[in-house]
Amino acid sequence: MEIEIQKLSHRFGEKLIFEDYDLTLKDGGLYGLTAPSGRGKTTLLRIIMGLLAPDAGTVTPGVRYSAVFQTDRLLPGRTAVDQLLFVRGGRKDRDAALAFLAGLLPEESLTQPVGELSGGMQRRVAIARALWADSDCVLMDEPFTGLDESTLRHTADFILAKLRGRTLLLSTHQKELLSDYSFDWLTL
Amino acid sequence: MKPAKSPRHLFRGLLIALFWLGVWQAASMLVAKPVLFASPLDTVKALVRLLPTKDFWLSVLGSFRRIALGFFLALILGMLTGAAAFRFRLLRELLSPLLTLMKSVPVASFIILILVWFGSANLAVIVSLIIVFPLIYFATLSGLGSADPELLELAKVYHVPGKRVIWQLYRPALWPYLRGACASALGMSWKAGVAAEVIGTPAHSIGEQMYLSKIYMDTAELFAWTLTVIVLSAIFERAVLWLLGKAGK
Repeated sequence: MEIEIQKLSHRFGEKLIFEDYDLTLKDGGLYGLTAPSGRGKTTLLRIIMGLLAPDAGTVTPGVRYSAVFQTDRLLPGRTAVDQLLFVRGGRKDRDAALAFLAGLLPEESLTQPVGELSGGMQRRVAIARALWADSDCVLMDEPFTGLDESTLRHTADFILAKLRGRTLLLSTHQKELLSDYSFDWLTL
Repeated sequence: MKPAKSPRHLFRGLLIALFWLGVWQAASMLVAKPVLFASPLDTVKALVRLLPTKDFWLSVLGSFRRIALGFFLALILGMLTGAAAFRFRLLRELLSPLLTLMKSVPVASFIILILVWFGSANLAVIVSLIIVFPLIYFATLSGLGSADPELLELAKVYHVPGKRVIWQLYRPALWPYLRGACASALGMSWKAGVAAEVIGTPAHSIGEQMYLSKIYMDTAELFAWTLTVIVLSAIFERAVLWLLGKAGK
C-alpha cells in the first residue's frame, strides 16, 4: 500500500519542523531516513503513525503500522515471547513466536523476563515484535541503538528477511553501516 | 510470595505480645475495678463463656454476613464506577461532589440517616458500603491512570484488542492501588459496621451484644466481643487480600 504525505507542516512553538513537506513511500519500498538530531525524524514517524496531528497536511489513511519506538516499550516482567504475543496471536502461536525470535536472539533468552536481558537484546525484542505484527508498513526509530557492528548487520539481515513485502521506513544515524543494503535514503 | 518467618522473628513477636498483655494486666490491676477495666484473664473467661452459646455464633455470622456483603458490594460498585469515571470525564466530574461528600460526612451522620430511612436490619451493609466505596473508587481511578502511557500508545499503533489492553496493561497498573485501598478499607468496614450496629442494635449482631454488655456493665464481655471483632477483621482482611493476590497474578 502506497503511503503519501502531502503538504505537511508542523512547528513546535516557534520552531518550524516541516513546511509543505511531501513524501511518497512506495508499496514494499525500503527507506532510510537520516538527519541531524532535532530535525524532526521522530516527529515525522509519529505523524505518519497518527500519534501526532500535524498543523497542516495529510497522510494516507487506513494504513496498518507496526513500529520500533525510540524506547523499547516492552511489557515489564514479561518474557520476550510474551511481547510478540501481545501484538499478534495467542497461546496457540507461542511456538511460532519462539521460532521467529530465535532468528534474532539466543534461545535461552526467549522465556526470560525482558528486564533480565541486556539493553541490546531488549532492542532486538522490540524489533522482532514490529516484524511479527500484522502491518502494511514497518516504522523504526533508531532501531540499532546499543547494537555492535556485527549484531547490527545480523539484525538488518533479519529485518529484510522478515519484511514479507511490507514497506520499511527506518530512521538512523548509522547510514554508513547500512551501505551494503539497498535503501532509498531520505533526508530532512 | 512472602518468605516464611524465622523462629527468631516469631519469638520476638511473642515477646512483644506478652509485653502488651503485661501492660494490660498491670493497667487492670492499677484501676482495680473489673467493672471499668477488665483484665486479660477476665476477658478470656468471658470469651470462653460466650463461645459455646448459640447467640455468640448467630451474632458473629450476622455481623460477618452484613459487613462482608457491604464490603464486596462496595468493591464491585467502586471498581465499576471508577472504571466508568476513568473512561468518561463527564461522569467523573458529575460524581466528584458526591464522592467528596461521602468522604467528609461523619460516619455517625450516615448511621443515623440510614437508621431513619431504612431501619436497622441492613444498617451495617449500607454503612460498610458507604465507607469502602470512595476508597475503591479513587483507587480505581488512580490505578487505571497509572497505566504506562507509552505502552498504551504502542497498543494503539498495533491495534491491540481492547480486552488484551485491559488485561495486560490496565489490570497490572490497577492492582497495587486496589490492594492498598482494600487493606485500609477492610479494617474500616469492620470498625464502621460494628459502630453502626451498636447504634442501630439489629438482632443477631455483634453491635447488639456490645450494647447489651454496656447496659449490664459487663466490661469483660465487651472486651471479649472487641477481641472477637479484631480476630474476625484480621481473618477477613487476610482472606480478601489473599484472594486479590491470586486474582492479580
